[in-house]
Amino acid sequence: MKAFRGLDNISVVGGLGALAFLGFLPTLFPGKYLIGVLTVAAIYGIWSVSWDFMSGLTGRENFGHSLFIGVGAYTAGFLNVQFGWGPWWSLPASMVVAAFFGLILGFPTLRLRGPYFALAMLSAAVIMQRLMLIFWEFTGGEEGIQDITPLIKDPLHYYWLVLALLGAITWFLAWMARSRWGLILRAIRGDEATCLAAGLPITTYKIASLIISAAFAGLGGALYAHYQLQVSPQLFAVVTSITIITMVYVGGMGTIFGPVGGALLLTLMTEGLRNFGEWRLMVYSLLLIFILFFLPNGIVAPTWNKIRNLFSQERP
Amino acid sequence: MLYSTNFRSLRRLATASALVGAFLGLISPQVLAQAANTKPIRIGVPTSVQLQVGRDTLTAIKMAVDDINKKGGVLGRKFEFVAADETENPETGISAIKKLTADEKVDLLIGGYTSGVTLAQLPHISAAKTIYLGVGAASPSITAKVKQDYDNYKYIFRVGPINAAHQARNLVDYISNFVIGELGYKNIAIVGENAKWVQDLVPVLAKGAKDVGADVKLTELFDTQTSDFSPLLAKVKSSGAQYMIVVLSHASSDVFAKQWHDAQVPVPYGGIDVKSMDGDFYSRIGGKSISEVAANFAVRAPLTKKTVPFFDEFKKNSANSPVYTAFFAYDSVYIYAEAVRRAGSFDTDKIIKELEKTKFEGVAGEISFDEMHDVQAGKGKLSLIFAQWQDKGERVVIYPKELRTGNFILPPWMKK
Amino acid sequence: MEILIYGAVTSAIYALLAVGFTLIFGVARILNLAHGSFYALGAYGTYVLTSIVGLPLWSAALIAIAFVAVFGIVVEKVLIRPLRHSQLGVLMISLAVALVVEQTLFLVFGSEYRNVPSFVDTKINLGGVDVAGQRLLTLAVAAVAIGALYIFIQFTRLGSAILAISQDPEAAKYMGIPSDKIFSVVMAISAALAALAGVMAGPFLSVQPSMHLLPIVKAFAIVVVGGLGSIPGSIAAAFLLGYAETCVAYLISSSWTEIVSVLATLLMLVFRPAGIFGKRAAF
Repeated sequence: MKAFRGLDNISVVGGLGALAFLGFLPTLFPGKYLIGVLTVAAIYGIWSVSWDFMSGLTGRENFGHSLFIGVGAYTAGFLNVQFGWGPWWSLPASMVVAAFFGLILGFPTLRLRGPYFALAMLSAAVIMQRLMLIFWEFTGGEEGIQDITPLIKDPLHYYWLVLALLGAITWFLAWMARSRWGLILRAIRGDEATCLAAGLPITTYKIASLIISAAFAGLGGALYAHYQLQVSPQLFAVVTSITIITMVYVGGMGTIFGPVGGALLLTLMTEGLRNFGEWRLMVYSLLLIFILFFLPNGIVAPTWNKIRNLFSQERP
Repeated sequence: MLYSTNFRSLRRLATASALVGAFLGLISPQVLAQAANTKPIRIGVPTSVQLQVGRDTLTAIKMAVDDINKKGGVLGRKFEFVAADETENPETGISAIKKLTADEKVDLLIGGYTSGVTLAQLPHISAAKTIYLGVGAASPSITAKVKQDYDNYKYIFRVGPINAAHQARNLVDYISNFVIGELGYKNIAIVGENAKWVQDLVPVLAKGAKDVGADVKLTELFDTQTSDFSPLLAKVKSSGAQYMIVVLSHASSDVFAKQWHDAQVPVPYGGIDVKSMDGDFYSRIGGKSISEVAANFAVRAPLTKKTVPFFDEFKKNSANSPVYTAFFAYDSVYIYAEAVRRAGSFDTDKIIKELEKTKFEGVAGEISFDEMHDVQAGKGKLSLIFAQWQDKGERVVIYPKELRTGNFILPPWMKK
Repeated sequence: MEILIYGAVTSAIYALLAVGFTLIFGVARILNLAHGSFYALGAYGTYVLTSIVGLPLWSAALIAIAFVAVFGIVVEKVLIRPLRHSQLGVLMISLAVALVVEQTLFLVFGSEYRNVPSFVDTKINLGGVDVAGQRLLTLAVAAVAIGALYIFIQFTRLGSAILAISQDPEAAKYMGIPSDKIFSVVMAISAALAALAGVMAGPFLSVQPSMHLLPIVKAFAIVVVGGLGSIPGSIAAAFLLGYAETCVAYLISSSWTEIVSVLATLLMLVFRPAGIFGKRAAF
């Protein structure tokens, strides 16, 4: 019954512990390679969490999440390279621009039912990708924008920054999910008509949650841009959206923290499969099919719940 | 008692000596190795492994590595190499560099194909302070960085191909001396894919062509993903152009040729078409590239002492004849080896200083670098050779005149 | 003039794709994102059978189409049917199938373009426009195929059964129509049409592992514009889009063509989700 008030102690301890563990991991196994992989994993974590907040709770699966990511990343690229702004401006700017896109896309599309919303967002992402290619004189076309300045030169410190942001965003969204906000979003998934009858302004909530989701996705995009030091239209690709959705499924839809675990797991798995690079997408797709059939609640969240229950039973 | 004490200490001494001896025995190869530094020189090869350009890069490197290793390696160390797929996508390219430098800890990088990918990789290569010898990407922006920011980007060299601007000038010569000079076609159309290197090349080409008297009826860059060229071909036809100059690398040259052939467009074409450099290009599209003129960097002719032996040796290692990245990858290994020998050490900065002084007789011509570490073009150095696809998939060199091996033919539907 | 002819050819290919897509949706409520994969497999199948196995073109094409039809049935039965209760689940799994097919093609054949031989290699001059024979043949074949489908649905028992299920699945069940079997039949037809498109268009369009993506985006665009579940709607929309794209390509530039269909989808979904002819709303 404490679930809606705040996070219970075990979850807090668990979350902080995981964060600390991740933070210290590179010091145990020093090497740029691991830091790189973990940074990317953390960024995917931000993307997954932001997706889960909107789509996981409302059940409106957004197949065009890559649009917000790309928009955030390109904002960072433009400001940094084209306009010469300092890299730290990218963070708030990307959030604002992505949120804006969330607003203008949310209005017309959120009244659509599940699959249609999904495909409408997919179409929007494809259009953005195309536009980036068409206006190649401004956007660098297929090869994108290069030479973005890093936020923090030291990879380890940058990793800690990303990790800190991941922790903050996850905590914030988890808190939102457990608050009245989350309750309403879940109610929308259950039965919109009843919500309407109860007088709830569901459209406002839906659009607002999309905006929040988009803002954080854009932030992740900017962080990615300052890590890769370049942006390209690939960021808008369907593959990015699908990867994130897979991560959320693996983590456990609607749990907020589950997708973080999913992101970490899958990114590490991808690196492990590096030698079989071509097989990676194949494995992802097969994994997705497998999970859809056998583990619709994902892997991370149910496992954590079991662990948590073990602890709570042990209390005297 | 004295006896036993002596014995015991003797035994202890014996055990100790045995242990020390064994220890020395075990570590001495390492010690000796450290002294002689025989750990192998690791070459990282970021390239598009799936494509011909990638496969040939690797085959050529293998040939060079085997040859040098047979002769004892460099300063006592042997080469080994490891590949990483950069595909044609900047994201994957960056991962490839990270894997090679951070994980595989390579000593040098040889490879590259897509200019956009290489540009994206540059900051990461610079951060890893690893020498990079480019063999496939043509954008001048890559080496421009060497001049802009020498300290950070001195590691970057381009061994081949000659950059887009040089290639444009070669094309202008082709247009001026051959298309206008011999074929008498003044009206030309310029068609290219919308990739960075083409964006760099086409303005130089268009201006140069106008300067030599061509009437450029149409200039169009199409999206690399395009699969239906009929609108484009129709535009070319109605523009009044008599010859179509193409600048293609990643685009679907196969489909382009097929569609051009099937619609029997009455405009012959030629230019830079990387996929057309593949030995099996003609046969894999059912011969539909007949009469296309494609630029190559080398053909099996004695351009230098090394050209013909290289082609023959390559044939032993691969079923197809080599594409351009092979020539430069092969040369790169030797160029690096020689720079190391001259420097007398493996210190990166010393090697860079020696690389800058390179004057190497390569497979396609003499290799030397300008102040931006970019390979120089010109007579005796590197330049484009234009060969035409003729009957039965034969490639006939038609320009430059000195290397001509046959006569130019028109597409079969244009013969009178 | 060129626009007229090339537009017709493009529209014909799109029509083949769209009709199959809308058929399976209208009958079984399945939004099949693997539809593009059928197109791809048709082209690759023909390539494999002609280049590697060495069969003559006609038989290779027919066998490829048959194989894809069977593949479609298997996918439907094994992967899609269990998840039928959730439209999103179906969407996800069909997408996953599409990705698996793409990756398999990539792993087996590599990312380079493959060559599917043409049925006819001549050039025909129609009203002053040079057209490749293969393109005109595609137009003809598409017309015949769709015409045959129409006759099949209107005039055969099986066709009536299909119509019945698409109009009212419950009533059809009460009438004793075996819906599961009908789903398989419809899936087979849908897949076969897509494969046919692949076989006919393969010779002049690109054949590479990611070739499934654009057709599915276009098919979805057409079907949304024409109205999900309406065959005449799909055909009309196919022509609309096909011509729109061709006009854009000739008059503006080829780069904008892809946007046409995707933008059309987006706009339709936003303003008139039922499409032009559709009966079913999207919300």
